[in-house]
Amino acid sequence: MTRRSLLLAAAQTNSPGFSFTDVTASAGLNFRHHSGAFGSKYLPETMGPGCAFVDYDADGWPDILLLNGSDWPGHKKQRSTLALYRNNRNGTFTDVTRAAGLDFEMYALGVAVADYDNDGYPDLYITGLGQNRLLRNNRRGGFVDVTAKSGLGGRQAFSTSALWFDYNRDGLLDLFVCNYVRWTPATDVHCSLDGKSKSYCTPEAYRGSTCWLFRNKGDGTFEDVTASSGIFDSTSKSLGVAMLDYDEDGWPDLVVANDTSPNRLYRNQRNGKFEEIGLRAGIAFSEDGKARAGMGIDVGAFDGTGRPGIAITNFDNEMTALYRRATGARYEDSAAAAGVAAVTRNTLGFGCKFLDANLDGALDLLVVNGHIDDTVRNIRREASYAQPPHLFLNDGRGKFRDVAGQLGRSFAAPRVGRGLAIGDFDRDGDLDVLITTNSGAPVLFRNEVRNGNRSIRFRLQGKKSNRDAIGAVVKLIDGNETQWRMVHSGSSYLSQSELALTFGVGKRDRIARTVIQWPSGHVEEHRNLLTGRLYECPEESPPKALDGF
Amino acid sequence: MFRYPEYEVHARKFRSPTPGLLLGLAVTLLAVVLYAAFTIQQIHRVQQLQTDLVDRNRRDSLQLLRIQDNLHSLGLVTRDLLDQSEPYPLTAWAPQFKRIREDLDDALRLAIREPSQSEYLNSSLRQFWTAVDQAFQEPNEARARQQFRDSIEARRATLANMVARLLVRNNENEQQAGTQITAIYANVERNVYIFLVAMLVLLLASGLWVIEANRRLFARITDLSAQRSELARRLITTQEDTLRHVSRELHDEFGQILTAIGVMLQRAARQDPNVLEVQQIAQNALQSVRTLSQTLQPVLLQEQGLLPTIAWYLPTVQHQTGLKIHYQPPAPFEVNPATSIHIFRILQEALNNVVRHAGVEEAFVRLSATADRLTLEVEDRGRGLAPGKGPGMGLTGMRERAQLIDGRIDFQPCPQGGTLVKLQAPR
Repeated sequence: MTRRSLLLAAAQTNSPGFSFTDVTASAGLNFRHHSGAFGSKYLPETMGPGCAFVDYDADGWPDILLLNGSDWPGHKKQRSTLALYRNNRNGTFTDVTRAAGLDFEMYALGVAVADYDNDGYPDLYITGLGQNRLLRNNRRGGFVDVTAKSGLGGRQAFSTSALWFDYNRDGLLDLFVCNYVRWTPATDVHCSLDGKSKSYCTPEAYRGSTCWLFRNKGDGTFEDVTASSGIFDSTSKSLGVAMLDYDEDGWPDLVVANDTSPNRLYRNQRNGKFEEIGLRAGIAFSEDGKARAGMGIDVGAFDGTGRPGIAITNFDNEMTALYRRATGARYEDSAAAAGVAAVTRNTLGFGCKFLDANLDGALDLLVVNGHIDDTVRNIRREASYAQPPHLFLNDGRGKFRDVAGQLGRSFAAPRVGRGLAIGDFDRDGDLDVLITTNSGAPVLFRNEVRNGNRSIRFRLQGKKSNRDAIGAVVKLIDGNETQWRMVHSGSSYLSQSELALTFGVGKRDRIARTVIQWPSGHVEEHRNLLTGRLYECPEESPPKALDGF
Repeated sequence: MFRYPEYEVHARKFRSPTPGLLLGLAVTLLAVVLYAAFTIQQIHRVQQLQTDLVDRNRRDSLQLLRIQDNLHSLGLVTRDLLDQSEPYPLTAWAPQFKRIREDLDDALRLAIREPSQSEYLNSSLRQFWTAVDQAFQEPNEARARQQFRDSIEARRATLANMVARLLVRNNENEQQAGTQITAIYANVERNVYIFLVAMLVLLLASGLWVIEANRRLFARITDLSAQRSELARRLITTQEDTLRHVSRELHDEFGQILTAIGVMLQRAARQDPNVLEVQQIAQNALQSVRTLSQTLQPVLLQEQGLLPTIAWYLPTVQHQTGLKIHYQPPAPFEVNPATSIHIFRILQEALNNVVRHAGVEEAFVRLSATADRLTLEVEDRGRGLAPGKGPGMGLTGMRERAQLIDGRIDFQPCPQGGTLVKLQAPR
């Protein structure tokens, strides 16, 4: 074997087997985030924006929603609205913001997407500064603001991430909203990194704000059950939320990433109430007992045990947490052992998602980074404002290596990253990536898997369960290997990924057993499903295979 | 009677040095072990003290800090509860209080306090939680908030002060412990040095004792060696004296007798020719006696010196044994008469060995001299010395003689096989 062939073989061995191509321009996404910054360095300016893959017209092709800030009162310069891009099914998108009725201004930060009224069309809950908005899909390509009518009006807050889930398993999606701190322009305080010029404050400067839980009453209205459910916590400073079944009892639990206050794990007590057990479960603090600056969060079975772990992005010098289930009911931070901690020491992470980027059957972890203050380099030389993302490739045993630098120059470029959503917008069976940047343009990366690995996708439709099947668990069982995914809203940071589930299966052409556990309690098992296609799975009906994805 | 006063057997039995040396080794090892054990014991003592004092105090402080943090959280929650900025009933705060209470209980359980302090803290907290529970059970929200404002917050502040005082006391304890540990370290260091000096003294005494024992031993060995050499010298001298005496007796007494017998037999033979044969026998006996006399103590050696004696002796050996001896006489040189007899005896023994053991038919004898030394070599191409076999009496005698004349004798294997006996001695 020649030296050249040896090097080639080594390069092929180290190759991640896929690449992310920046298709933002060719797709027609010409959005730019507007934070409204005018020099006063108001805290919300550095927080957003989020984004979503949402199939708003229910045609099976994921569309893109981008959130936007606005000018501050008294500093009006430009009009800035959300942006909705319809998927043209050919790799391009069309701006349909106005037609969809989303061309309104608000200081938006996050979004949660789900069909809360079970009509087959996804609705939107937009969070931000001031009044959040519930936008019901009118099934004709537009949205109607039903905030007041639904009982969600009359609330001013600094809301961040949100998610839909059916906490009482009544078939109706309820809404959980993260609130950050008590901040208004009037209560803004002066913070400075260098002792001279004003910088963005960290949340220690402000009082916390409770998260909200709204119960879907089924008639288009919601009841605030924050207090009665035990969710109320006036000290929380929440930025990210993800759902999981912590105790594997079929009832959805929640894990909340808090910024400089302990992370929370709300265990569903199956009676409409939650018990907070973050400390007991080992996720409240870092291993050295510090409440870290939790930003983004996601849940995924990444270590081959079939039991979901938790990833939480943190401030620079705090490292991303990677909690894996230890013995008993506790989690332990395995970031150092998994090879994630050292790499994330100098980056400030926001959005994060588990995804099988190379379709090898092991969940990888994508983290987008960016500092909150553009003067950070003056204070810490090793930190920068714009930062490259991390794509941690999983070796199948819970060990990760960052391959972001091998995925193309554009992907590894430093950005002030914030939101992150994943979805198969080109319907080729792999997961594409949408990243938003603070005061910048979003970036859409098309995933191109070249290693010959295959995938199988599922789009679930509830009948007794909520129509989006949020909370449903799909398990692929093949030999000794089991893959686990839950249909979920929320996760990441201010963002929403597509609800369809994507499993990488390597070179397999069929899956021995596929088990679906619906939120209603119904369990289905399907045998020998062919890979390389998407299955539409109505509850209590056989799955229907599409010819492709 | 000949007497060897210095060779008298001593009444005192000679003692083996091994027990003493082993005792010295044991003392050294024991000193090392004792020193190590002492050092380890001192370190353990300090470690134990640190564990008892410092770690206990540190763990206690950590738990107190945790309690303080919880009390601080209670303050924040109470503040939020009282400012009524949230649209929720008072009971909404109950889970937060419950969560903090659980953590407080856990911290109190882990804190290591004196029983009196622990009881006082627990009692105060019990009263605090009783007040909180009563407030949450109060149906009138305004009155309940009033309880929080007037009573509960004050109790919390008191608890916070109490914990702060405990932390201060812990800090003082920690400083005292630090001082105590510094003193203990100094004490340990002093003890270690004292013990080290004691061990060094012990090792020095043990070492000196071993050195003295060795010195005595070597002196004894030197004495014995001198005695042995003197004994050998006297034995050889005695042997030579005896041989000389026997040789002279043979030459003088038996020679005269046999000569007389020969003359008488010669006269008798004139009358009886048969006596001639007897006279011839007597003549042969006379010749044998003379030869034996020469061999035992060559008169030639005393009269003409070593070189002529060797020149006479070698053909005699060749004639008697059939061994062909190659010898090239050197240019004449003088040899000390006292030395000559020993060199001659060594030559005799060497050739005797060749005849008896080498299994050859020829030998080489070389004699050379420098201004003050001579070298005698006897070489054969025979079997050589048997490896591993100790020296026989012959070789020992040769060594003794060489030593007696301050010479050196070597027995070397020849490259072609056989043995080279090489004597170097002063002339």
